[in-house]
Amino acid sequence: MLTADTMAILLAANRVISLRPVDLAIIIIYFISVLGIGFYLKNYATTGEDFFVAGREMTAWVAGLAFISANLGSLELMGWAGNAYQYGILAAHWYWVGAIPAMLFLAIVMMPFYYISKTHSVPGYLELRYGHATSGLSAITFAVMTILMSGVNMFAMAVVLQTILGWNFDLSIWVSSITVGIYVALGGLYSAIFNEVVQFFLIWLGALLIPILGLIETGGWAGMVARIKQNFPGQDFTHLWAPMAHPSQNPMGVQWFAIVFGLGAVVSMGYWTTDFLVVQRVISAKDIRAAKSAPIIGAYFKMAVPFIVILPGLLGLAVLPFHLFPDNVVAAHAAQHLHSYDQVLPLMMARYLGPGLLGLGITALIAGFMSGMAGNVSAFATVWTYDIYRPFMKKNASDKHYVAMGRWCTIIGLIISIATAYIVLHFGSLMNYVQDLFSFFIAPLFGTVLIGMLWKRATKAAGFWGLLAGMGTSIALFALMSNDPRTIGWFCFYPKAQALAQAMWQALWAFIVLVVITVIVTLATQPRPDAELHGLVMGLTDVPSEGNLPVLKRPFFWAVICFIIFLILQWIFR
Amino acid sequence: MADDQTSGVQSTGVANAPKNRRGRMIPVWFFVGLLLLIYGILILITGIREWSHPPTTVLSNLHPTFWWSLLLIALGAIFTFTSYPKKRK
Repeated sequence: MLTADTMAILLAANRVISLRPVDLAIIIIYFISVLGIGFYLKNYATTGEDFFVAGREMTAWVAGLAFISANLGSLELMGWAGNAYQYGILAAHWYWVGAIPAMLFLAIVMMPFYYISKTHSVPGYLELRYGHATSGLSAITFAVMTILMSGVNMFAMAVVLQTILGWNFDLSIWVSSITVGIYVALGGLYSAIFNEVVQFFLIWLGALLIPILGLIETGGWAGMVARIKQNFPGQDFTHLWAPMAHPSQNPMGVQWFAIVFGLGAVVSMGYWTTDFLVVQRVISAKDIRAAKSAPIIGAYFKMAVPFIVILPGLLGLAVLPFHLFPDNVVAAHAAQHLHSYDQVLPLMMARYLGPGLLGLGITALIAGFMSGMAGNVSAFATVWTYDIYRPFMKKNASDKHYVAMGRWCTIIGLIISIATAYIVLHFGSLMNYVQDLFSFFIAPLFGTVLIGMLWKRATKAAGFWGLLAGMGTSIALFALMSNDPRTIGWFCFYPKAQALAQAMWQALWAFIVLVVITVIVTLATQPRPDAELHGLVMGLTDVPSEGNLPVLKRPFFWAVICFIIFLILQWIFR
Repeated sequence: MADDQTSGVQSTGVANAPKNRRGRMIPVWFFVGLLLLIYGILILITGIREWSHPPTTVLSNLHPTFWWSLLLIALGAIFTFTSYPKKRK
């Protein structure tokens, strides 16, 4: 993720790329297309079921590609390419161990409960399982954080477009927001999903040439590794697990335990299985097999994303004729016009892509920004309308009323996002806080949802107090480690642990506290009768068996193959 | 829950092409195909021009713009024609 410091540097930097008329034509055609799709889909988004869950009609492929695209935002692409330049292939952990097991777990273990309960959202599931209090806590924190994140991303987008292309900050914000506002307000989740599928193809086709041409230039993987060793003697950028035995052996300051259990078992599980932004795409699937298959399809593509994100970062180490630097170094030598880590992807684009192709690459970035914005506002509209407005403000209104509320929410959500973007422009450090806050609320939620699905004894009160304790722990640890660096050693078992490592330990401790509190409160309170938990909890839910399907049509079979490929990748790049 | 209060639409079993009182929805693949086809043609024209006036980018001697445009056109054509709305009755 890009930081406020990076943004300040980007604002002051010279632009990296100049566009030709053909590039601008490609960008303009994209804007016309998404608006056209929005107007076309308006006719189909008439009921709440259409507007908020896309009619539950998406195939596994459409839901799967939307699921992966919702996460394939431009900031992630640029930020992780920058991380790959800084930390080497270690950054791929966030795409492999930090995603694949969680996505497969969502598909096989959790998706049946989301789907069979016929919920429209993650807070909607918590409402059914734990009642108003837990659902309300989760819905309000999600709605607030999602809209703030949307504003932060909007700000980041405008800064990136200003830096790379020299575009006006205000114009970028208003043109993209109005476009997203129109197409989401018209077509609801249909529009968001359609545009995410379009974005998926644009990102791949816009970025794929960079690693291909990069590998041709370096003479393949071995040639690239040799050049990196020549450019950065004594440093290991191309091994995934070898430098993980002790935190002092790698630049992240993290060891394998934190990667496997902090990132793989808690942080990524929290994101991929309970962040409604991504889960909403899978809930829109047409049947339970499609709902289970969608995250598995997404997982295959997720495994391949390092090819267009991590590899360009590594190639940057090998072929760029100058070095990139951390933000503080770039800021300290402003007169020298140095480039920061996060600029590696645009720099590699400018290196290999001529007119036309560059327009496609830039359109891919713009599409990533805009569909990220659309994803945020469509998830916000659903959670606000169904999980806050309906239960707490206006029960039993007509379906038409809730759809109208959803459309207005989209517009209001965007206005709040725009306001947030301008506030961040004036108070840059807010950006980092918003990003941190989001992780406080998302990571602990996984524990509450998982216990709710797997343990029928867990009670309403336990769900609420466990979640509150988890969020509280996350916030308290963050405050402690930020204000007193000595505490980093206590909680992370390594005093020099970097921000990413701290975030993993923070999530791990929050999860442990959440589980302990949930279990203690459960044992002290009365369980709900089984009759109330049918379709919500393991053991009381009839999950259709896959046994009658041919092997090649069983989601479980494809999940196993996916996991084997994941293990092979870990072995190859160990 | 949403289902209880909404009429919903009847599932056709053909996802992303639900039936609706306004008719059957054009699948997303058609839009993807059309966009790739248009982009492919635009980039092809640029790629042909670049054959005589190569850009200053690294490896432009391999004419990546031209060859990539052919891939875009091929993918665009496949998606457009296999999901062309008139064929889906």
